[in-house]
Amino acid sequence: MNTETKPTVETEEIIINTDVLVIGGGPTGLKAGAEITESGYKVTLIEKAAAIEAKEKSIEVLTGTCLVDTRGIPGDFTVRLERKEEIIERKVGAVVIATDACYEPLNEDYGLSLADNVLAQSELESALDADAAAFNQKTIAFVTGFYHESNPMALERILKSAIVLQKQGCTVYVYVNNIKVGADGLDLLYKRVRDNGGIYFKLEAPPKITQNEATLTVTSKDPVLRRPMDLSPDLIVVEEAILPDDLNEGLAEILRIHMGPRGLLQKNNVHRFPVSSNREGIFVIGSARQTCGLSAAVTDAKNVALEVENLLGDGKRIVAKDQAVVDRNKCVICLTCYRCCPHGAIYWDNRAIISPMACQGCGICASECPMDAIQLGDFKDEDMQKAVKESVVTNGDAPNIVAFCCQNSAFEAAEMATEFKMMLPAGLRMIKVPCAGKIDLDFIMNAFVEGADGVLIMACHAGNCKSDQGNTYAKWRVADAHRMMTETGFEIERLRFVTLASNMGSEFSSIVLDMEKTLRKLGPSPLK
Amino acid sequence: MDKKQKKVIVIGGGIAGLTAAWEMARKNIAVDLVEKAGFLGGHAIQYSCKATDECQQCGACSVEAMLKNVVNEPLITVHLGKQVEKVNQNGKFEIFLNACDIADPSDENCTGAYETDPMGCAAIRGFSRHNAIFYDAKGRLDPEKIGKTKKLAVDAIILASGFQPFSAEKKPTYNYGIFDNVITGMDLERCKRAYDGLFCPSDKRVPEKVAFIQCVGSRDERLGNPWCSQACCPYALRSAEALKYKYPDMDITLFYMDIQNTGKDYSEFYKKCQENLNFIRTIPVDMYKTEDDKIQTRFMDDEGKPIEDVFDLVVLSIGITPGADNKQLAEILGIELDKDGFFQASDILSKALTVKQGIFIAGTAQGPKTIDVSMAHAGQAAREAIRFVREAK
Repeated sequence: MNTETKPTVETEEIIINTDVLVIGGGPTGLKAGAEITESGYKVTLIEKAAAIEAKEKSIEVLTGTCLVDTRGIPGDFTVRLERKEEIIERKVGAVVIATDACYEPLNEDYGLSLADNVLAQSELESALDADAAAFNQKTIAFVTGFYHESNPMALERILKSAIVLQKQGCTVYVYVNNIKVGADGLDLLYKRVRDNGGIYFKLEAPPKITQNEATLTVTSKDPVLRRPMDLSPDLIVVEEAILPDDLNEGLAEILRIHMGPRGLLQKNNVHRFPVSSNREGIFVIGSARQTCGLSAAVTDAKNVALEVENLLGDGKRIVAKDQAVVDRNKCVICLTCYRCCPHGAIYWDNRAIISPMACQGCGICASECPMDAIQLGDFKDEDMQKAVKESVVTNGDAPNIVAFCCQNSAFEAAEMATEFKMMLPAGLRMIKVPCAGKIDLDFIMNAFVEGADGVLIMACHAGNCKSDQGNTYAKWRVADAHRMMTETGFEIERLRFVTLASNMGSEFSSIVLDMEKTLRKLGPSPLK
Repeated sequence: MDKKQKKVIVIGGGIAGLTAAWEMARKNIAVDLVEKAGFLGGHAIQYSCKATDECQQCGACSVEAMLKNVVNEPLITVHLGKQVEKVNQNGKFEIFLNACDIADPSDENCTGAYETDPMGCAAIRGFSRHNAIFYDAKGRLDPEKIGKTKKLAVDAIILASGFQPFSAEKKPTYNYGIFDNVITGMDLERCKRAYDGLFCPSDKRVPEKVAFIQCVGSRDERLGNPWCSQACCPYALRSAEALKYKYPDMDITLFYMDIQNTGKDYSEFYKKCQENLNFIRTIPVDMYKTEDDKIQTRFMDDEGKPIEDVFDLVVLSIGITPGADNKQLAEILGIELDKDGFFQASDILSKALTVKQGIFIAGTAQGPKTIDVSMAHAGQAAREAIRFVREAK
């Protein structure tokens, strides 16, 4: 039932550089550096600050140092580092970004100015470390989670300080919206503060706070008694937002990796989790990729050690020779491929070159190349066109549907539907593609020219494409095809773009059955 | 097999066990993957995709992909329907397995078209096509494919025995199992997965008004479950969003105590949910059945006014509780449980370590986790185990 192109595997062995650059000298970077060193690789760690606390002996640590430029491909990156106006050049096989989080007090949200009686969480922690007894018998109010959703790390800091304060005989109030207890052990801390006499005010609207030199008033609606209440604490402690490092944006540009939400350095795409970026050989860990605490950062450090070893191994790599190849006679260096490659796998000398180490074989470049100069080893254009031809069949009066299926999602779902004996139209033929981004407009139009009654383009959901935007390219090409079909008076209902996931066998079945229904209504293709 | 070949046993074939096994095989370590059920993938393989028009990062498809990796990996030997009976340690670990009782599945109802009983059919085939290789043509587990060995010698152990979903029957006022239209989050997942939609069990129609009740079996000191299960806000919110996308007229209410963060972009995601769903900060206790099989409940609103509301379907967001075999496994392995009954990590920062050298924990065996966090934790456990077996003589 399925038409697949035959893979041709020709491989070559290449020698790669196995040194690793770690960016960020906080606990996450140091831990990752230590783990990677233990796997037998030489690590250079750079940190923008002039000094860092811990020093791992086996790691080369360069403080006061920033990354200014990166060239090359995984296994052979050239990085340029700037240190006291001196430029250092290094060759590395992989790069690990481990920038730390920074903290920003949210006092302005609450209309407060930091003062002796209004402290940011960090200030409170330092004061408690210096002299906890100074807080003896005070009334302390914490405010958290009203203007920004808070997180378990922030709650943990509040609760830990509250316990220290309670030991000093303080009365602790916590004004909070959603209590973020979603982390190991927080329920215990939460309960301890409460059992020590701490009071939580769970409010949906922020309390009104007036700061008048020495007097503070917090007005809120008591959620239990349902009436307004005033509190005049000796001290208000304001939470801090946990923000990604300022360096991130620059690093994303230098390393050509995608930014995620809120200045994080990893897109919200499950194929990148835990520690990958869109580029092979560039990894993101800890606070560089998510709002996280130390134990999650350690988890990332362990995972990146696994991934670095998977990539660099013993310094020799076997790669597929013809994964994606540029025909040097056809290439005019228009750089379309360089710009559309989501994996940063393309560079050029006097023609475009695709790195077999970095290439993920999605084929977006091959479909976008205006000169048709790029061929994928496993999915050559002539093989694809042959597959299209073979998929156009006559099967009684059953409408013929040619479904181009992304191998990561729709093709898996199709296999599931088949295995589970779900209902499928008799005239359905599936063509496996490496990514929806490899479905050329030519393939779609040829299917119709050959006589297909309908064509389905089946891609991953937005945000779930392994190659980031392959599904977007496919959607654009369908829109182009629809325009051409409208101009020629061909029913556009015969071509449909849908998204689904690998585990959606039943949806696959409903989608193709629905398409069959539509095609029955339209009748056979006029091109038949 | 080569005597120098290092070997690790992974106990549990859920997403953590699969990930740990795969990561070790990638480093040329042989793995015996032992699973007591008749299929791989644990609870997570039964979860549905929660995408709207875009992916919501629930991770269900990652389980499918990992299962595919594992069943196609020659270095991983799968032992299905088996459990660990005894462990001896003298340098290496000597493991004794015995067979568990698995109800012999019958394929009879599913030989024809899938729609006769999709849920039953999916269960019989292990919820994923990648489990199909363990079954013969009649839909029975193939004894040739599920491991015959009763004794294994390994260099290290990864314990990935997972969790047990909270039994909603323990909260009797919800009448789960008595009222047709009170279901659990797990039932919702299976229904969405098998039928590509949601319906009321009483009459198979799509519900117009749905309530999710959060924290069922979590943050409940009276039950002795004080912990937050960490996965239920994410799954309830993502499921509710997916339902709202599929059925735009569906009226969905979430009853909650505190909304926990979902994913990387938790603020934006929560804001989007607040636009599409009703949030009511209270946990209703009693459920009644109306004459037309709807579910009536009552609660106080913000002003203290009593409200009675009726829903077509109530979904109980059941939490993550310690595995049923945890005590027994802890005894067999000589490791400790924490106060809640999950396996105790011996280091507060390295949560894959146990008090025993050579035994590591992965996934929800250690405590509640979402799919992506379980996978990362399993990678961590694999890394520790790899290091251990390389250093071992």
